[in-house]
Amino acid sequence: MKLIKTIANCCLVFITVIAVCVIIAFVYYHYFVKDTTIGVNNINDQLAVDIKKDDELTDEEKDIFEERWFMEANYYSNDKNNGVQLQELKYNYFTGYGLTESEYRSTGMQFIGDFRTYTQEVHKESEANERVLSEFYYYDTTNGINWSGFKGQYGSVSTVLNRNQQFIIKIDNRPFSIQLDGKYDTYGRLWGFLWTVKQSTTYFDYGDVFDAVFSAIKSNDKGYGDYYITLDLSQYFSIREYDKASGKFKADDVTDIIKNYAVLKFHYDENGARNSTQSIFGSIECNPKYDTSDEQIDTTYWQERMTYTLTDTSKLNGAELFTYRYSEIYDGYFVSLSMDGKKLFADMPRAKVNITLDLQSEYLAGKEIKVVGLDYNAFDGLEIDTLTIKGNARTFYLLEKSLNDTQLKTLKHSRGIVLDGTANAINNEYSEVLI
Amino acid sequence: MKKIIGMVILYLLAFVIIVAAVFCGIRLYKEIKAESYINGSIDISNRFTQESFNYSSTSAVFYHDLYDDTDTYAFEKDLLKVENFDGKKKTYQVILNDYVLLNTEINAGSVFATVNMDFYDTNGNVINSAVMKLSVKFLSNKTTLTLATTGKENASFLEQYFADNGIRLRIIEIL
Repeated sequence: MKLIKTIANCCLVFITVIAVCVIIAFVYYHYFVKDTTIGVNNINDQLAVDIKKDDELTDEEKDIFEERWFMEANYYSNDKNNGVQLQELKYNYFTGYGLTESEYRSTGMQFIGDFRTYTQEVHKESEANERVLSEFYYYDTTNGINWSGFKGQYGSVSTVLNRNQQFIIKIDNRPFSIQLDGKYDTYGRLWGFLWTVKQSTTYFDYGDVFDAVFSAIKSNDKGYGDYYITLDLSQYFSIREYDKASGKFKADDVTDIIKNYAVLKFHYDENGARNSTQSIFGSIECNPKYDTSDEQIDTTYWQERMTYTLTDTSKLNGAELFTYRYSEIYDGYFVSLSMDGKKLFADMPRAKVNITLDLQSEYLAGKEIKVVGLDYNAFDGLEIDTLTIKGNARTFYLLEKSLNDTQLKTLKHSRGIVLDGTANAINNEYSEVLI
Repeated sequence: MKKIIGMVILYLLAFVIIVAAVFCGIRLYKEIKAESYINGSIDISNRFTQESFNYSSTSAVFYHDLYDDTDTYAFEKDLLKVENFDGKKKTYQVILNDYVLLNTEINAGSVFATVNMDFYDTNGNVINSAVMKLSVKFLSNKTTLTLATTGKENASFLEQYFADNGIRLRIIEIL
């Protein structure tokens, strides 16, 4: 028994000696040997890893999916005094560590005016971590299209922007978490003249970040416009890498200096905001119909149509839209729409086309083209609203099917012009107007 | 008794030293293994210029200058510099949303176009015909885009159209 006790004591002494050595080694390494390590986290775009490639996106999808950054800001400064001053900051992040498109989520804050941060006294860190700033309107979306808003501090169904919040973001196509947990201590001399002691701790909140972001925007050297800058968020945010093995986001407590950089995309306007469509949340003061105009005009409509007026000088990609075929029998040229022109309008079914032919135009005279009529199938299939033929007294020939399937509504022509062949040229009713 | 107390204190001290050593050991291991690192990269150099003109937005709001007596309402935008635009040597096509614009005036460093748009009510009657002047100027340090129309009603209908359909303006070089 005594032997066992002696062996145990010897082991304990041995382990204790080793422990002391380890402690000495640590103190020596930590204070006398250790080299500096720097960690850098670059927060680039926040597009999902399963996002379709550029050429697979429709134009509408491109607007939504082509760009997605962790921070996006919108600032109508109202320097022209023609609206209201509007400041908006949006955070784009993910709700899962798969980083897929279905896990998109964005949360934003909006302020009407020029927000200036201020230090609010808190009694302990947990109070600071819970606080939500009541000055802001908060908005949320999962698909980037439909937003919902909330104003106030607590009881919100919007994502709460306080220091307890952690977002999942993408860096190097890997999941990381980001959290606002920055703080700084203020020191002063005890009783004003004795030794230095810690006097207070200030905890950064989302208002501080908001203020700093808009200061950066105001001081950007390009001025007004849509630009990108990189922000150093190291003071404010901590970033943790996701460890797949443990399924946890792990803090980096070893690296001496950690720098966190992020791209900020912003819109900076000298105008004031006038309409809720200018908000990146589609709403101002949680009002999607916000409008500062005194007089509201009813703009309800069913359909819009772009109106094209084609003349002999109209060109498509540098080439004339009209082609001319010479006829010896009629001793003149028959006009028709080029194949490229027909294809162009076939691809634009909402286009409303008017055609004006001036038979005495300087352009045609300069090219010595005497137009005598419309060629076979000249405008076949092209939807025409009004065809105007101007010129001096002569017969104007409409060859077979020249205006077939055009749904021509109005045919205007000079009083002296006689139309020949209308029966076989047009297959719908139209009104004829003399000019 | 004194001996027992002395032994207990020694054991406690040994325990504390061992526990402290464990933490110091872990920390020492981490510090020795620690390396500087860079996660991700940021390259926004291609965000300051663009190869060809391309502007898209979900809306456009037309402003009226209080000191302007021409009743003009304009949407103005400063955009990134466009590299290599040369309207004298190259041919371009201007496309607004799905519409190819004809009769565009393309100069060495600028593009002008006129857009005529009719709006119909549910009975098929035209309730507004808006004419919008489009101007793009390619300057040495930026590109300016201006959309302008006359009258508040026209501006309101165009704002509604762009709010419904967005705005996608492209100037494409025809090769």
